[in-house]
Amino acid sequence: MSALAANARVIRALGMRSIRQTFRRPQLIAPIVVFPTLLLAIQTGGAGGAVELPGFPPVQSFLQFMLAGAMMQSLMLAGNSGGIALAVDIEMGFTDRLFSAPIPRFAIVLGRLAGVAALGLFASIWFLAIGLVFGATIEGGVPGALLAMALVTAAALAIGGIGAAIALRTGSASVVQGLFPLVLVVLFLSSAFFPQELMIEPAKTIAEYNPLSFVAEGVREPIISGIDAADTLYAVLAILGIVVLGLVLSARALRHRLRVG
Amino acid sequence: MEAALKIPAWRANLATIGAMMTRARNELVRVPGAAIPGVLAPTIFFLGLNGVFGALIELRGFEVNSYESFIVSVSMLQGAGFTGAAAGVNLARDYEAGWVDRLLVSPAPRWVLLAGTVLAASARALIPGTFVFAIAMALGAHWPGIDGTMICFTMVIGMAAVAACWGSFLALRFKSQSAAPLMQAAMLGTIMLTTAYAPLALLQGWLQDVARWNPVTDIVEAARQGFVGSVTWAETWPGLLALTGLLVVLGGLALREMRRTAL
Amino acid sequence: MAAIAVERLERAFGEVLAVQGISIAVEEGEIYGFLGPNGAGKTTTVRMLTTLLLPTGGRAEVAGHDVVKEARAVRASIGVALQEAALDPLMTGRELIRLQATLQGLPTTEGRRRADSLLERVELTAAADRRVGTYSGGMQRRLDLAAALVHEPRVLFLDEPTTGLDPVSRKTIWEEVRALNDDGTTVFLTTQYLEEADQLADNVGIIDSGRIVAEGTPESLKAEIGRPHIELQLAAGSIAQAEQTCAEIGRLLPPKDGRKVLVEVENGAADIPRVVRALDEAGIGVESLELVRPTLDDVFVAKTGYHLAEESEENAEQEPAEA
Repeated sequence: MSALAANARVIRALGMRSIRQTFRRPQLIAPIVVFPTLLLAIQTGGAGGAVELPGFPPVQSFLQFMLAGAMMQSLMLAGNSGGIALAVDIEMGFTDRLFSAPIPRFAIVLGRLAGVAALGLFASIWFLAIGLVFGATIEGGVPGALLAMALVTAAALAIGGIGAAIALRTGSASVVQGLFPLVLVVLFLSSAFFPQELMIEPAKTIAEYNPLSFVAEGVREPIISGIDAADTLYAVLAILGIVVLGLVLSARALRHRLRVG
Repeated sequence: MEAALKIPAWRANLATIGAMMTRARNELVRVPGAAIPGVLAPTIFFLGLNGVFGALIELRGFEVNSYESFIVSVSMLQGAGFTGAAAGVNLARDYEAGWVDRLLVSPAPRWVLLAGTVLAASARALIPGTFVFAIAMALGAHWPGIDGTMICFTMVIGMAAVAACWGSFLALRFKSQSAAPLMQAAMLGTIMLTTAYAPLALLQGWLQDVARWNPVTDIVEAARQGFVGSVTWAETWPGLLALTGLLVVLGGLALREMRRTAL
Repeated sequence: MAAIAVERLERAFGEVLAVQGISIAVEEGEIYGFLGPNGAGKTTTVRMLTTLLLPTGGRAEVAGHDVVKEARAVRASIGVALQEAALDPLMTGRELIRLQATLQGLPTTEGRRRADSLLERVELTAAADRRVGTYSGGMQRRLDLAAALVHEPRVLFLDEPTTGLDPVSRKTIWEEVRALNDDGTTVFLTTQYLEEADQLADNVGIIDSGRIVAEGTPESLKAEIGRPHIELQLAAGSIAQAEQTCAEIGRLLPPKDGRKVLVEVENGAADIPRVVRALDEAGIGVESLELVRPTLDDVFVAKTGYHLAEESEENAEQEPAEA
């Protein structure tokens, strides 16, 4: 078997484990989906009048606008939970078992991220379905929905890489869990929940440069108006940037872990 | 015990409540950074909501000129809810560690044990409440006056007690920390399903109906009044009534669970 | 008046009957040893007697109070050190005992005085102002015991007080229990350690699968079993043949491990030459031989058909803790 095929097999096996682990514990999935759903309902009901504000993008409803924000929240939580799962593996000693096997190190991280990607995909399907049930239209049609799902899945993978890096560095599930407030901060400081032009300073300026804003816009456009090449490109570039950051941090953290044991 | 060593029951009960509150304080004082999550979460929500939704005040129907003034009380109540729910999580952890057995095997009345937990949470809620209040004032929120401030903090302390009763009920029911997400999510949800984001008239459809009937809406409005206008008894008494009602119901449930813990 | 009077006490968890109608009487000033393997029902019984669990049948009185109808009075009369030393790692030892004193309704000054005295008694004065989280397992057990004594209870419940402790710490706890009993405290002690029950208890109750299978003083229980047995350590591969040979001389007992044969004999040491001769004639090599007089484990085997000692040793090996 070629090295590539062998690696793919390992990644697939670890990936299946990660996906099985993720979906066998509903109490872990629930917060990733239920909490953003609750927030979506509340924010739509509470701030729905915002569509009347001058300068608000033309949308069918505030729900249609907010779907992207809910998906962003889910994918951030999914990435965080992937980091927690890897940290638990480290604490339990399971990663030692993997490190002592003749498999490439990157396969260990990639396999874990498979679960995160699956969660991201699940969340995107969930919120698109919620939107449709409650009357929102996906202006981009099926291609638009598929694009949104692909971007959310890729973004979850990217954020998962950051979570994995933190897990590898600290080896502590409670530390990774404690970063949850940071997740919220970063999201609030983006255009996930509100148009960037209508936000209040300094959040407005930060959101303008926050890579998550580009991802949020990339996910939102197919829903509220249709596929836009520029928005999609910026979203992909932002995701790639986060992926690169995640890879660099993970590689360093992995080296550190293998050095200190 | 010898007769000479007996102290009046009320003194013994007060001493027990005080001892439990002192123990609860240990976590704040002896665990570095223990207070941070409880302060961080409501602060993030306050700053985040303000930065994101601040433009809502331009909508007709918002009779206030700063969104900070509108939501500061909500964030303070969120901090109280978070703190109270955390007391429930701590009780569940204590249960798993066997500590609750130590309390239950003592002759202290069950209501005294519950009161110790609840009052400790109420006192602790003053920390995030004060922090968010200070940040809001620094950002230019309207000063609510002494009366408005006192009423707001009364609602905060009361909300923490309500959340602690809820958390204690779940902790004693499920005897496990796995109930923690339910403790936290229920409190967060209950506070958000009110006029948290906007006045009642500007809420959309179903949320308007829910907020109208949700007793926590009265607590939010009572806490908010000084920040957005003047303090009146008409705005205050529904909040006090709602607090009392929730304490009676949730406190009763928690006490019943504590008595049933021997089952 | 019995310090503890239990009448057909029962506890069901759904379909499972964890305690099946047990009856016990413990006199004032007695040390009662409640012996049994893991899952026998010891802790369930203790939790019922200490009002932490409601019985589903029967009744019990502790210090003259019904555990269901007068639960609070029971709690005022008992001291409890449960299987899990329920301590707060963030508190100091002194703070914990003072808290316990407050829970028991003692005045503050008296509580402080007793805390100091008890800390000295269990040799924790030097560590009294350190956090409990820094204590060793043995220190935690001693602290737990001290906390159980702060209100000078009439009846003391100790649920496996020395499980997981090293031999030195175990001996310290034993000495303390004896001293308490000398002062007049009734002690209800659950244990899976035979030696502990043998050393400490005035009376022993053996529980298995929720039922009392034997009760009496250690000596009377052992005398009931009566006969000693010979333990033979044999070469591998010869067990079956040796068992066949020994069965013709005495009664075979359940084996403890795969390399020993246990045979109960009528005449004690006088039967040893017979056994050795028979094995020699059969060509079976004996590596070692020991005459063993009845122990509580033998009583347990006689009543249940299996050994309690192996399980206890395994548990002791798994969790050694320093004093």
